[in-house]
Amino acid sequence: MPKGLRLLVIKEVKDLLRDPKILIGMILFPALILPLMGAAINISTGSLVEKSSGPLTVYVLDEDGGTVAQRILGFLQDNNVEIRLVRGSYEEAIKNVAGGGVLMVLPEGLSQKIESGARGEIMIYYGFKEFSILESLNAQRMSGLLGGFENILVRGLISENVPGANPDSILNPLLVNEKSVIKGVAQPISPYVLTNIVRMQGLMGPLVIMIVLILAMQVAATSIAIEKEAKTLETLLTIPVSRLNILFGKLVGSVTIALLATIANVFAFTYYVSSITSQVTSSIGNLDLASVGLIPPPEGYFLLGLTLFGALVSALALALTLGTLAQDVRGAQSIIGIVIVPIFLPTIFLMMGDMQTLPFSIQMVLYAIPFTYPVLASQSLITGNYAPILAGLVYMAFFTLFTLYLAAKVFTTEKVMTGRFSFKRRRL
Amino acid sequence: MARVVVVRDLVKEYPGRRALDGITFEVEEGEIFGLIGPNGAGKTTTLRILATIIKPTSGYAEICGKDVIREGMEVRKLISYLPEEAGAYSNLSGLEYLRFMASFYYDDDESIRGAVESAIAISGLGERLKEKTSNYSKGMRRRLLLARTLMVRPKLAILDEPTSGLDVTHAYHLRRVIKSYSKDHGTTVLISSHNMLEVEYLCDRVALIDQGRIIETGSPELLKSKYSAANLEDTFMKVVGFAQGS
Repeated sequence: MPKGLRLLVIKEVKDLLRDPKILIGMILFPALILPLMGAAINISTGSLVEKSSGPLTVYVLDEDGGTVAQRILGFLQDNNVEIRLVRGSYEEAIKNVAGGGVLMVLPEGLSQKIESGARGEIMIYYGFKEFSILESLNAQRMSGLLGGFENILVRGLISENVPGANPDSILNPLLVNEKSVIKGVAQPISPYVLTNIVRMQGLMGPLVIMIVLILAMQVAATSIAIEKEAKTLETLLTIPVSRLNILFGKLVGSVTIALLATIANVFAFTYYVSSITSQVTSSIGNLDLASVGLIPPPEGYFLLGLTLFGALVSALALALTLGTLAQDVRGAQSIIGIVIVPIFLPTIFLMMGDMQTLPFSIQMVLYAIPFTYPVLASQSLITGNYAPILAGLVYMAFFTLFTLYLAAKVFTTEKVMTGRFSFKRRRL
Repeated sequence: MARVVVVRDLVKEYPGRRALDGITFEVEEGEIFGLIGPNGAGKTTTLRILATIIKPTSGYAEICGKDVIREGMEVRKLISYLPEEAGAYSNLSGLEYLRFMASFYYDDDESIRGAVESAIAISGLGERLKEKTSNYSKGMRRRLLLARTLMVRPKLAILDEPTSGLDVTHAYHLRRVIKSYSKDHGTTVLISSHNMLEVEYLCDRVALIDQGRIIETGSPELLKSKYSAANLEDTFMKVVGFAQGS
C-alpha cells in the first residue's frame, strides 16, 4: 500500500472510531440494543410460557350431573385444571369470569343425549379483561382439552357400537406420510416444516446484507462531507499526495468501519433472531438442515462473500461519488436516503418471493441493481443455482469500475470543492 | 534573486461571473508578498489556483518553475497552504494532527519529529497540543494550523487571511511568527488580507487587487509615497478611486 494511502487510511479509521456518533450509533448501539431486545422478548415469552403451563382455573355450572358430565370434569382435573363449581343461574355464573377466566356450562340432559347417540352441547365462556396473549392461550388450552375429551368419547362410542374395530382405522382410514425430496433423496420431513425453516434462515442473509450496505454507504458518503464541513478538505487537497489516494483512503477507511459495524450487527442480530425463534424451532423439533443434505457447499459461501464484497465496493463507490458533491453532512445523508431505496428493493422483493415468480419488468429492474446479487447468492446457498450469481459478478465489476471512474473524475477536478447537488428548478 | 511565483494573465470564470480578470504578478525568493483588497476581489481564487485546488480558465502560473496546472503534484511538494477557513480533525489531538500532516512531507521518523518539534515551538501551545483539537478556541486552532503550514519548511507558504477573526493577542502572535519565520528561514510568503495595517507591517511588497484585477504593485513605502497617503488603507482608497475614475 502506498505511504500516502496508508497514512490516510490510519487517520480515517482513527478519526471515525473516535467519533461518538459512529462508535455509539453504528457499533455499540446495535451491538447492545438488539441482544437487549432479544433478551426482553425471551424473558416475557418465558414468563408467559410459565404462566400458561400452570393450573388452569375453570368455573363450572353443572346443570346435568350425569355420567358424561362427571367424566368431563374428571378428565379436566387429570389435565391440570382446577375446577370451581358454581351454582345458581347462568347470569350469576357468568359474573365469575367478568375479570377474566373460563366458565363451562354443562346443560341439563347432556349425558342422556350423548348416551342415547344424539349430539350434546356444552357452552364455554372466555372472559376477557386485558385482551392479553395469556387470555388467548388459556382459551386455546381449554379448546384443546375439550378436543381431547371428545376424542376419548368418540373412541368409546366406536368400541361400543362396532365391536372388534380399531378406532384409529375408522377415524383416520387414510394415513398420509409426507416426505420432501431434496437433491434426489427423500427425507422424512414435511414440506411445510422444511420451507418454513429454509425461509427463516433465508431471511437472515438479506436483512444482514441490507444493514451492512446502508451503514457502509452512510460512512462513505459523509466522510468527504465531514471534511468539507470541518474545513479540512481544502488543506488535504494541497498536501503532496494524489487525489486518487485520498479517495481510496476514504474508501478503505469506510470499508474498515463498515466491517466492524457489520461484525457487531451480525453478532447482535444472530443473538436476537435465535432468541425470538427458539420457541418456534423447539416446536418443530430443531431440524438441522445439514442432516437432510442441505449443507451449503464452500463455493456457495465463496460466491456469497464475493458478491457481498462487490456490492459493498460498488455501494461505497456510489456513496463516495454522490457524497463528494454534497456540501455538508446533512446534504450527504439526504442523498444516501434516496440511494437506499434500491438497496431495499431487492431485499423486500426477494425476501418473501422468488425471482422467477416476479413479472419480467421487475426482474429486469432487480437484475440492474447490483445489490440484488448478494441476496440471490444467499438464496443460492441452498438452491445451488449459481449461474445468475456469476453473471451478476461480471455486471457488478463493470458497475463498480464505472462508478469508481465517476468518483475519481469528480475528485480529481475542482468539482470536489465547487460541485453541489441542486434541487432548484430551472427558470423557463 | 530567483522568482518563486510567476503569474501571467490569470483568468477564472464561474457561471455568470469573472472572478479573475487577467492577473499578473511575481514574487521573489524570501519576500513576503501581500495580495490586498476587499472581499470578493479575487484574492482567495488566486491563492487557490496557486495551491492547485482549482484550475484557471486561462493564463499561466508557476511556482519555482513548476507549472501549477500540469505539475500539480510537484507544486504541492513545494508549497504549504493555510486556507482562510481551515479546521483540524476534531477527533485527533494537536500533536497527532501535526504528526499526521508532517508524515506526508518526510519519510524518516527523525525528520517528522523535527518538523513536529518546530511546529510545537511555532504554535506556542505547549501541553494543550495533547488535547483533542475540538477543545481549541479559534485562536488556538489558527496557531496550530499556521504551525502546520510552516513546520514543513515550504519554498512558498500561502496564507489566506491568516489572522481574520482573531482577537488581538492571537493575531499579534501570528504576525510575529510569520515575519520572524520568513526572515530566519528565508521562506517566501504569499499572503492575502483585507487588513491593510497588518499587510503594511508584514509585507515587503504588495499587490492591490480589486474586481479580479491588480491595480497597483509595489512596496508599502513606495505606494504610500506615490499616492501621498498616510497608510496603505488611504493608498488603496486613492488607487481604487483612480482606477474607477480612469
